[in-house]
Amino acid sequence: MVQESVISARNVHMSFPDGTGGHIRAVDGVDLEVARGEVLALLGPNGAGKTTLLDILLGLTTARSGDVSVGGQPPRAAVQTGRLSALLQTGGLLPDLTAAETVRMIAALHADPADVDEVIDIAGVRPFASRQVGKCSGGQQQRLRFALALLPRPEIIVLDEPTAGMDVSARHEFWDRMRAQADEGITVIFATHYLEEAEQFARRTVLMNSGRVLADGPTDEVRARAGAAYVTVTWDPAADELERLPFVIRTTREGARITFRTERPDELARHLLTSTDAHGLTVRPASLEEAFRLLTEESTDTGDTERPATAAPEEVSA
Amino acid sequence: MTTATSPHNHVRGGYSLGRYIAMDFWRNLRNIGNSFFVIVLPTALFLFFGASMDWSGEPVGVGNVSAWTMIAIASYGAAMATTSMAGSAALEIQQGWGRQLALTAMPHGAFIVAKAAIAVAIAALPVLVLNLAGIFTVADMPPGVWLATVGLTIAGSLPFAFYGLAVGLSFRSDAAVGAATGLLVIFSFLGNAFTPLDGVLLDIGRFTPMYGIVALARYPLTGGDLVSMGGTSGSDPLWMVLANVATWTVVFAVACLLLQRRRTTRH
Repeated sequence: MVQESVISARNVHMSFPDGTGGHIRAVDGVDLEVARGEVLALLGPNGAGKTTLLDILLGLTTARSGDVSVGGQPPRAAVQTGRLSALLQTGGLLPDLTAAETVRMIAALHADPADVDEVIDIAGVRPFASRQVGKCSGGQQQRLRFALALLPRPEIIVLDEPTAGMDVSARHEFWDRMRAQADEGITVIFATHYLEEAEQFARRTVLMNSGRVLADGPTDEVRARAGAAYVTVTWDPAADELERLPFVIRTTREGARITFRTERPDELARHLLTSTDAHGLTVRPASLEEAFRLLTEESTDTGDTERPATAAPEEVSA
Repeated sequence: MTTATSPHNHVRGGYSLGRYIAMDFWRNLRNIGNSFFVIVLPTALFLFFGASMDWSGEPVGVGNVSAWTMIAIASYGAAMATTSMAGSAALEIQQGWGRQLALTAMPHGAFIVAKAAIAVAIAALPVLVLNLAGIFTVADMPPGVWLATVGLTIAGSLPFAFYGLAVGLSFRSDAAVGAATGLLVIFSFLGNAFTPLDGVLLDIGRFTPMYGIVALARYPLTGGDLVSMGGTSGSDPLWMVLANVATWTVVFAVACLLLQRRRTTRH
């Protein structure tokens, strides 16, 4: 799968004064290559450096060091030619304009904009097109921002927490619209903290924390790397029996139920059911949220003890 | 299927700054409250102090005292308009609109040009209303002089678009913009706009930002001659008036450019 890279960031560093004379490393040596047509999720907690990284990719902020190019151009040039556009978390709107007026005003500022009415329909702005922006709901304002992002007919679209403030059905609707755009071949990079959005929508996930990339790969693999699944059984083993169990990363006991974290759930389940008295077995894949938490833990306390007999109580809901 | 958003070969440039300016002009004009005070307040000032005093008809330069007063109050109104317009533009930026604009083909500098143009267009409104009020009352100037002062009054408000923008960009609040607009009353007084100054106040006033634009707008009427309660008292050479205008324009414009560059970064 060697494809043309449309976004290339190499060794990007960015820091801000922390107000006490020192510096916060918002982005600390990030490398990122994004292929044409790829859909990539950027995951991380608040303060992970996601928004700063996206600002750098969009040319809104200049990195302290490192190389960034978008389609072979500097980011600002890619924005000006309309190849690159974005839906920004902090992208403000003028409250006294109507939604349609906002689209028309921004359209005037693009070199070769899409048809305003078509964009209004695609983004689902039509039902409130003549409403003042200040009177629109948060979800409606996000749809309007989406319309603005579509105006330059971009090849690459960056979304910074696009569904923040939307209810569940609005989120589904938003991703349906976004998926239609991705199917047209647009490259999509989105930052989110709704982890199921990454699982459902992104083929590739980049995990960030403290300005660094912790994991980067197909979303399934990223999850697998943090321990693919939880296998839970009803069992009362002897201590040495538990010690000898293969494929186990972590063990948690809760009454008669024991939960194992494992990267090889099939082999562990086969072993438990054929070679031990364990019964009532369930297998649950780890959510991306768990993958994320485990990876951030590993990055902070480096000496992660393998196979502690009784791990710290983890919530288990199998 | 070809949709509106399908990628295609892009060419640089070609955005329509004119259309953006026109749309933003109408947006600001329909903000009735602001427009009302910028236009009606100076007009009322003129009708009280410029058109109905005993000395309103006394000659000054090639016209009369009423015209002399009208020009200065029009300058005050125009400067208020550009200051508050540009200040509100800066507040738009604080609300993130600047980041939205930074995602278009419009370069950073064009935003300042657009906002200055809109501010001047709005500033033309009190000038036109005041001059109409002058025509229908006692103000008197030769027609050519009249036209020249109108043009100079509007042009003279341009530095104050930069002034309002700079204040809004640095202090980031409605209150600061309001204070900056309010400060124009003092600048206008020091700028020899409301009552004729002399002595130390006049010496200080010559270095303040309103002095240059008021003196320039009056130049076709007075030829630079100063007016005092006892008649003319000295004269300002044109180069001094222009130096004042040029200096303050550069100061405000450079402040805007520096602040504008700072604002697209989040921190």
